[in-house]
Amino acid sequence: MVTHVSPEEVVRTGILVRIPPALRSYTQGQDEVVVEARDVRGLLDALEAAFPGIRDRVMDEAGRRRQYVNIFHNDELTRDPLPDIRLAPGDVVHILPSVAGG
Amino acid sequence: MVLAVGTKKGGFLFHSADRRKWSVAGPHMPGRAVYHMIVDPRDGRTVYAGAPMTAEPWGPAVYRGRIGSELKSSASAPKFKEGSGLSVTRIWHIEPGPADEPETIYAGVEPAALFRSEDRGDTWEGFDALNYHPTRKDWQPGNGGLCLHSVLVDPRKPKHIVIGISAVGTFETKDGGLSWTTENKGVRAEFMPNRYPEMGQCVHKLAWDAAGDGSIFHQNHCGTYHRGPSGGAWTEVSKGLPSDFGFPIAAHPHEKRTAFVAPLTADVNRVFPKGQMAVWKTSNAGERWRRSTKGLPGPNAFMGVLREGMAVDAGDPLGVYVGTNTGQLFASRDEGDSWKMIADFLPPILSVQAAEAR
Repeated sequence: MVTHVSPEEVVRTGILVRIPPALRSYTQGQDEVVVEARDVRGLLDALEAAFPGIRDRVMDEAGRRRQYVNIFHNDELTRDPLPDIRLAPGDVVHILPSVAGG
Repeated sequence: MVLAVGTKKGGFLFHSADRRKWSVAGPHMPGRAVYHMIVDPRDGRTVYAGAPMTAEPWGPAVYRGRIGSELKSSASAPKFKEGSGLSVTRIWHIEPGPADEPETIYAGVEPAALFRSEDRGDTWEGFDALNYHPTRKDWQPGNGGLCLHSVLVDPRKPKHIVIGISAVGTFETKDGGLSWTTENKGVRAEFMPNRYPEMGQCVHKLAWDAAGDGSIFHQNHCGTYHRGPSGGAWTEVSKGLPSDFGFPIAAHPHEKRTAFVAPLTADVNRVFPKGQMAVWKTSNAGERWRRSTKGLPGPNAFMGVLREGMAVDAGDPLGVYVGTNTGQLFASRDEGDSWKMIADFLPPILSVQAAEAR
């Protein structure tokens, strides 16, 4: 279940996911949500269940992180393969576009 | 009349009641590279576009909406099968389906593949026999990417489809996509050791000849071609043109054997020859070409036109439209004899399409 909760509750219940502006159309405008997940695969599954279509914006159908999408785990840039990265209650995950394009 | 114009920074709709004075609406999908945008000619009011979702990093989407309303992404975008190792990175072309299937559309994508939707883009089915063709391992991208950009659906027999892929060539199916043949006989590939390989030709754009008998016009990286109704080898018809390189080709919708091209200097110099923008017209399937420059910029106009940058309407006399990669949009109300600039300072124009608004 995904909800908008206090930081205290995050520590107790799950992972805080910060949603970039470009993807807030999926989350009904919420800039952060909380999911229960043991790893990034589970996190993306939980996001997709709550906000259909959002996973495809982060990962492509081949299971790769989109080239210019970054995921930070507790402020550290994660490296592939993303799905296996372990998470723990209280962790914070940022989804952000990298500086790219023109 | 409405013109759908895709640009590097959004899509625009130009409206006119008389094809003299034009008003503009947009940008739709601002800031995004709209590789193709169309008004569905079957209803004259549904707009489709291929563009990144929100912004470039987030993957491609098909947009849909009525003229005058906000375009929104459809429920899903074309996708390869899980486990294929492939992923769609860009929508290059959206093609309306047959007239009696008003909710059917086709999408050509990068990396090269063809998809079909029967619900106006909400769900998609891939043409597996093409998308996972045995030769796919040998497909190499052209300079613009490995893109499937031309989709011709035969209005007489919708199971007959011809598609073009840059630097791979032309494929054809007559059984609705269950099997595909390479259709590149007679087409040069000057960048290959064998100049006439079975596959690897860099098709830039295909267009049905208005003859309605299955004849096709073809602008290639290496020449301009025409293929007759019985299929088989292409006939090169570059003679009489200033070069064998160009991107768009647009066929007259009513007059058979009639088409327009916009040749550029060469593949290593993709601007109009001698800085004079010109559109060339044939009325006999390329036996002869006639140059038109009246109202077009030059002699110091060093720009080009991309593969989707030329369109015709269905008017009488015919309207022809050309958008440049420097953001000018030109229109002709007299079958290409003379031109008038109807917009300037647009972002680089990626696509132009004309339809009768209803």
